[in-house]
Amino acid sequence: MSVPSRLALCTASAAALIAVLSACSASATAASASGGATPASSGAASAGTGPALVVYSAQGYDDPVTKAFTAATGIPVKLVDDSTGPLLTKVAAEKNNPQWGLLWVDGDTAFAALDKQGQLLPYTPATTLNAAGVALTPSDHAYVPVSTTVMAALVYNSAKTSNVPTSYQDLLSSTYAGQVGMNDPAQSGPTYPFIAGLMNQLGGQSGGVAAGEDYLTKLKSNGLHVFPTNGDTLHALETGQITYALIQSSAAAGEIAKVPATATFAPKVAYLPKATLLPGVIGIDKGAPAAVQDEAKKFVDFVLSPAGQAAMQAGDPHGDSLYWPVVPGVNALPDLPAMPAYQKIDPYFWGPLENQVNTFFDSTIK
Amino acid sequence: MVTVAPRLRTGTDVLGTSRLGAARLALSRARGGPWLIFWIVIVAILVLPILLFLLVAVSPRVLGQGDAWFTLGAFRQVLTGTLARGVVDSLGVGVTAGVVATGLGAAVAWAVVRTDVVGRRWWAGSMFALLLAPSYLVALGWERLLEPAGILDLLGVPDAAPRALLYGPVGVVVVLTMKGVPFAYLALSGALRGLGEEFEVAARVHGGGRAAAARIVAALVAPACWSAFAIVFAESVSDFGVAATLANDAHFPVATFTLYQAIDSFPVQFPQAAAVGWVLMAMAGLALVAQTRALRGRSYRVLGGRSRPARRHRLARPAQGAVLALLAVLVAVGLGVPTVGAVAASLVNGLGSLVGDHRLTLDNYSRVLQSPALRSPLVYSAELAAITATVTAVLGVVAARMLSTRGGRVSGKVLDLLLLTAVALPGIVFAAGYIFTYNLPVVNHLGVHLYGTTTLLVLGYLATALPSTSRVLLGNVSQVQESLREAGRVHGSGMLASWLRTVLPLLARPILAAWVLTFAGTLLELPVSQLLYPPGHAPVSVGITKALANYDFGGGTAMEVVAILVALVVVALVWGLFRLLAPAGWHRIGGGAS
Repeated sequence: MSVPSRLALCTASAAALIAVLSACSASATAASASGGATPASSGAASAGTGPALVVYSAQGYDDPVTKAFTAATGIPVKLVDDSTGPLLTKVAAEKNNPQWGLLWVDGDTAFAALDKQGQLLPYTPATTLNAAGVALTPSDHAYVPVSTTVMAALVYNSAKTSNVPTSYQDLLSSTYAGQVGMNDPAQSGPTYPFIAGLMNQLGGQSGGVAAGEDYLTKLKSNGLHVFPTNGDTLHALETGQITYALIQSSAAAGEIAKVPATATFAPKVAYLPKATLLPGVIGIDKGAPAAVQDEAKKFVDFVLSPAGQAAMQAGDPHGDSLYWPVVPGVNALPDLPAMPAYQKIDPYFWGPLENQVNTFFDSTIK
Repeated sequence: MVTVAPRLRTGTDVLGTSRLGAARLALSRARGGPWLIFWIVIVAILVLPILLFLLVAVSPRVLGQGDAWFTLGAFRQVLTGTLARGVVDSLGVGVTAGVVATGLGAAVAWAVVRTDVVGRRWWAGSMFALLLAPSYLVALGWERLLEPAGILDLLGVPDAAPRALLYGPVGVVVVLTMKGVPFAYLALSGALRGLGEEFEVAARVHGGGRAAAARIVAALVAPACWSAFAIVFAESVSDFGVAATLANDAHFPVATFTLYQAIDSFPVQFPQAAAVGWVLMAMAGLALVAQTRALRGRSYRVLGGRSRPARRHRLARPAQGAVLALLAVLVAVGLGVPTVGAVAASLVNGLGSLVGDHRLTLDNYSRVLQSPALRSPLVYSAELAAITATVTAVLGVVAARMLSTRGGRVSGKVLDLLLLTAVALPGIVFAAGYIFTYNLPVVNHLGVHLYGTTTLLVLGYLATALPSTSRVLLGNVSQVQESLREAGRVHGSGMLASWLRTVLPLLARPILAAWVLTFAGTLLELPVSQLLYPPGHAPVSVGITKALANYDFGGGTAMEVVAILVALVVVALVWGLFRLLAPAGWHRIGGGAS
């Protein structure tokens, strides 16, 4: 057999094998779940016969919320529950043929990028949002904020120190030398918005990057410690490697709620002006079948409803449930303090700078 | 000196010339079928995903990852950043871990297979246990031991010097070496078992000393040594667990971290990640070149019908003590430390800190065992691991046979590079290649809807496991003399029957080891699971990672420990069944401990 013939035979056989494998798994395809070529009607979808709503979510309470949604509406949901990083990698790899119907993660910079790429379906829910919610809503309504945390909360060990800084500049003084820790923005999703917020606060959009880099360099000179994620930074605080930890507000509140104060470790929280809003955000896939888009809109409405908010607050009471609501009339869980003075950064400006800033942090600060 | 083993007369010698052409034709047709199926599988699970992923580096527009149809911009970006240093660091780490792990694996294999050291089965079993601990857990164990206010600090043991060493290149190499030792052990123990004793005896009979005999043995197990080195090298340069923990904390940039940075920011920069993939592939190619040059033109087929199990060396009391001490140190470092990490984390609520009011508790285990959220993912992962291990064991034998073919056939070389590239590419980008391939609209339009299914997840596991498994089997398969099977054919058996009667008994034990290796490696596999799992069916590793990401270190590590215990039970069960059910002759090659 000639080489070209063999190649042709190989290719044909490969296609046949893939087809057989595909047939074996037809019942479980995500493609048929949300990205099939034939959109089904909303009613058919609700009855479970059409494409199902596929939710990509990194929220700690997503499983109970999706179950509550299905119980309330009869609409089945397929949940892909993972950390933000792998979910965004999936979304990027699927760019040619998205399989998600709805994406729900913390931070709006990724949604701003998806909006610029034309991947989001604008939607304005009927629910009126509070001031923070309105501030977080983009002008084109490409995505919907449904909760918010802030970055950063300053957790400190009050059993070890009575010095509490009142500004970010305080952290540069000798009082705090070698005692402050923060997360690595390359590994911790909430940390880039924190750094972008610092830059925004120190120099605005025009000179913020340089001013922020200068500040971080000074913080590094003052003995800044960098740990991978919230959990690692808190662990360093617990083990006495640092006395002050700059982490996400939900992680800070969870630590204080979970860990009983002792003679050697008594975590307390302070918020340095200004904390940067880090919203929990939902976006809908613009390319999804119409039926799925309708279901996704209903999901957003449910999440903003009292029942949805209750499910969110009950789902992960020492973790992601510790958020400040953006819906008027819903109170934050008792473990959270009053919302601190905050700023909102423009994700359309700061999002594209993430790689540049992270590279600087990696080479200069870590 | 390398000995070419005597061969039996082949079937062609005894067939008449007139029948020869017809027989060859029939044989080639019969042979072509299985090979074709094998290559189809390889193309589907390795070639297409790797090619499409690497293609993004030069033509991002093809897969919607940029505007350019052709560009080298991604290479410019990664090669002018910290990658250059990362590549040098990765090369150093890979070569060091490869050499040390191969040496340690050889030492353990020698002790277990060729001596009467006490507790051989336990030492062999501990090698499988080493495979089960993810590199993240190994690194965590070291950190819990040596960190400020860690276990050694609390015990009052001065640990400043080892702590300084841990958070640096030494720590990275130690952890990756310990992860590599089981691969080296599996590759080399099979080869030593199959070698028998006759070559050493021949050397001694002809006046050679112990050193000469050792040189001959070393030369004859060279394919297994190189195989072990190549696999540990490739695993080390592609490891991300250690890169993200110890190496990152130590400001010791390695190549995989540059790749991770490219895909962890949003928008994800797949072209840059793919450019790093090319670099990693080149590094795997270097390992292959070294292997090819070292083994060129020699035969290592020593396992034939006359092979006899080697006698075990009786160790004198001092030697017995020294070998036991060495094995104990090795297992303590490789297995004890991650166990300490897991125990320290899983028996403490919260973040695993041992200071303050954190008391030891079994609450995390009770919570995990009562949770249906763990049980069904664990059963699901165990089922997929068993399927993957079975298919991989079969394909691994085929791949190892192709790799061991003498004369440097192009197909064997292509397969070798392909398999090692698959190992050298970190799992997360490999999984991205699967999405690129099986989520293409054109593929969907052809009626192929594999993405988001359990089938594709299994194929991804298969692609992840096959390279290392075939390398582990290579040492054994390359020892089997063709004459065995040909003799069976001459005596009237069909192709499959002759293989089952003559070769399978010799390879049963290594095939079983490969099955166990794959099962253990797949059960807690993370990167492919994360990107390819079907909606609503999260494997156990995804659940563990989610718990850890939500600051539930206690729950996450308790889930990990439970999963590892389940895997150990399965491993013990499989070996137990083999001992009970396999024919007595199948145990004879090497005898004793597995």
